[in-house]
Amino acid sequence: MSGLRIAVRFVALLLIVGLSSPEGPALALTPSPNFPDSAGLVEQPKNYDGRKVEFTGEAIGEVMVRGEDAWIHINDDAYYAKNVEEGAPLGGFNSGMAVWLPAGLTTRIMHYGDYKHEGDVVTITGVFNAACAEHGGDMDIHADELVVDVQGRHVIDEVKPWKIWLAVVLCLIAALLYAMHRSGEASRTLGPVSRRR
Amino acid sequence: MIVKPRAGDHLVVGKYTGKVIVGVGLLMAIPLLTSIAYHEWDTALDFVIGIAACLVFGFGVQILSKTDRDLTWSHGLVVAAGSWVWATLLGCLPLYLSGHEGSYLDAMFDVMSGYTTTGLYLLQDLDHIANGLNMWRHLLTYAGGQGIVVIALTFLFKGTSGAYKVYVGEGKDERLLPNVLQTARAIWLISLTWLVLGTVALSGVGLALGQAPSRALLHGLWIFMGGWSTGGFAPQSYNTVWFHSLAYEVVAAVVFIAGSFNFALHWAMWTGNRKEIVRNIEVLSFVITLTLMTLVATFALAKAGVYPTAMTLFRKVFYQLASGHTTTGYSTMYSRAFVTQWGPMGMLAVTVVMAIGASACSTAGGIKGIRIGVITKAFVQDIRKMISPESAVIRSRYHHIREIMLDDAMVRTVMTITLCYLSAYMITALIGVAYGYDLSSSAFEAVSAVSNTGLSCGLTSPAMPEFLKVVYIFGMWLGRLEFMSVFALGGYLFSMARGR
Repeated sequence: MSGLRIAVRFVALLLIVGLSSPEGPALALTPSPNFPDSAGLVEQPKNYDGRKVEFTGEAIGEVMVRGEDAWIHINDDAYYAKNVEEGAPLGGFNSGMAVWLPAGLTTRIMHYGDYKHEGDVVTITGVFNAACAEHGGDMDIHADELVVDVQGRHVIDEVKPWKIWLAVVLCLIAALLYAMHRSGEASRTLGPVSRRR
Repeated sequence: MIVKPRAGDHLVVGKYTGKVIVGVGLLMAIPLLTSIAYHEWDTALDFVIGIAACLVFGFGVQILSKTDRDLTWSHGLVVAAGSWVWATLLGCLPLYLSGHEGSYLDAMFDVMSGYTTTGLYLLQDLDHIANGLNMWRHLLTYAGGQGIVVIALTFLFKGTSGAYKVYVGEGKDERLLPNVLQTARAIWLISLTWLVLGTVALSGVGLALGQAPSRALLHGLWIFMGGWSTGGFAPQSYNTVWFHSLAYEVVAAVVFIAGSFNFALHWAMWTGNRKEIVRNIEVLSFVITLTLMTLVATFALAKAGVYPTAMTLFRKVFYQLASGHTTTGYSTMYSRAFVTQWGPMGMLAVTVVMAIGASACSTAGGIKGIRIGVITKAFVQDIRKMISPESAVIRSRYHHIREIMLDDAMVRTVMTITLCYLSAYMITALIGVAYGYDLSSSAFEAVSAVSNTGLSCGLTSPAMPEFLKVVYIFGMWLGRLEFMSVFALGGYLFSMARGR
């Protein structure tokens, strides 16, 4: 049987097996505190364009102050109340909205979410823009109210003891193999020299 | 008759694959140091495990593969393609151990996406990951852009004449200098110079935009790495819309457009040949197709009234199109907004530019501008032949570093690779359609994966069918190595089983 024919049959078999399992993995579903949520706003931007919305979620990353106003980002995803480092189940990608608001309001936010922090959960009220004329066509919310619902906190990603053991064992094996490799290289380098002598 | 590889062939392949994987392990020292600096101890352990696993594999295989034979062409191609598989299998350990990946397959998807400078990802809760892990994601894409084999060539291969064969196997065929090791080092010289300039510029803008100094520096470095490598990874799930800044977009666009240029063009400019940028066929091809598709998308979106002013319309269209054309994948839109705001015509324009891609021997993917240029020249040449007297001799030439005469063998090679890309785009898109996704979304995502772009219209997600993830991983790998190395590896494996 020719190589091409075998390859075609192999690919066909793969396709049949692959396509016969259409379902993707199930993700933990944490309901968003918002209606519409951020995904809903992106799905139907025209329906909400120019309308006043109330939006709740975790303040994430940082505040970027630009003069009198500032940018913050609020996530209303599966991790808005508890993140993966704290043991939250995986619930898909992050999702949220960019918020433009008076810089003074952001001083109420004490924690922004990152690896070491779960950010404050805040509720903002403002106007949703599907394509903001003031901000280069970005989808955003221009808010004029901000309330901190839940204070954020410091998060510690505990070191897992089994990882320490695995790291030690692997490092010892790697060091041993390195030594063997070096000695092998050295003997191969010296070989011809000693023969020439 | 198919000749079965002998033990000596396996030894050569094993020896050089081992060297490349040791290189991957050493590369993990950078995110390890980042994690230590930021006191991310659990993440630091993930990297210690990753480094040790790479060294165990790399040294183990080299001990088992003692040989003085040099590489042949087929060895070089097999080493290049095989190294990427092993580098993916082992390089994804820190991502998997972080707990942010749904499965080992998802972690492999992200690492292959990084190495191939694609930028699609399945990592969950990106906004809460450690700095060390973000450093690894961006370093993967920066290293992948130069080529992981180029790294190994630069630091680990000592004067082997066969090195050029591995270098070519990784989808690069320009010799900037007579010696391939010097070429690899020249690529690094260019990339590192841009790294310093780009990081300083982006960090400076970040500071001016209100970022804290340490975040401005890290974000500047990572956005540079993602942009220069045309990878498109970003440290936040919002991608580059995070910054809400025209200045940041302009600097990022300069970086990713420069990154998408051929290293030979960079070297020509570096060595004083400034005129090359306006004469080079790849640059001309890029400018023409980008302009045409920007006009198409602008017209479609203006008609739909998506953006309120001409300036916002142009800013959005140009950034997404330039990002797509350079196969970067940076975006200032939500993924699903391609479907809900841009619609089929806008998505088609992005799909076309992603399919074309940028320059050969760069960090970019896709069919490549030089092939589009050569096919166009050949097409025009054929028309000229048709309308000229039979006795007339019609010759065409194009400019790429030097004047090159077009010949049939060259056109045939170019057409073969182009057909491979088009077939891969089509097959990948059809598999998406078979899973129930609509054609425009499926085509958009398939082309994005195979051309190593990374823009998404929302189809790629941790919940997508597992087989489709495998198809995309394979597509990214095929596209980045430009098919031949992967075919050579397939042939090598087949001949092991069926050869005599």
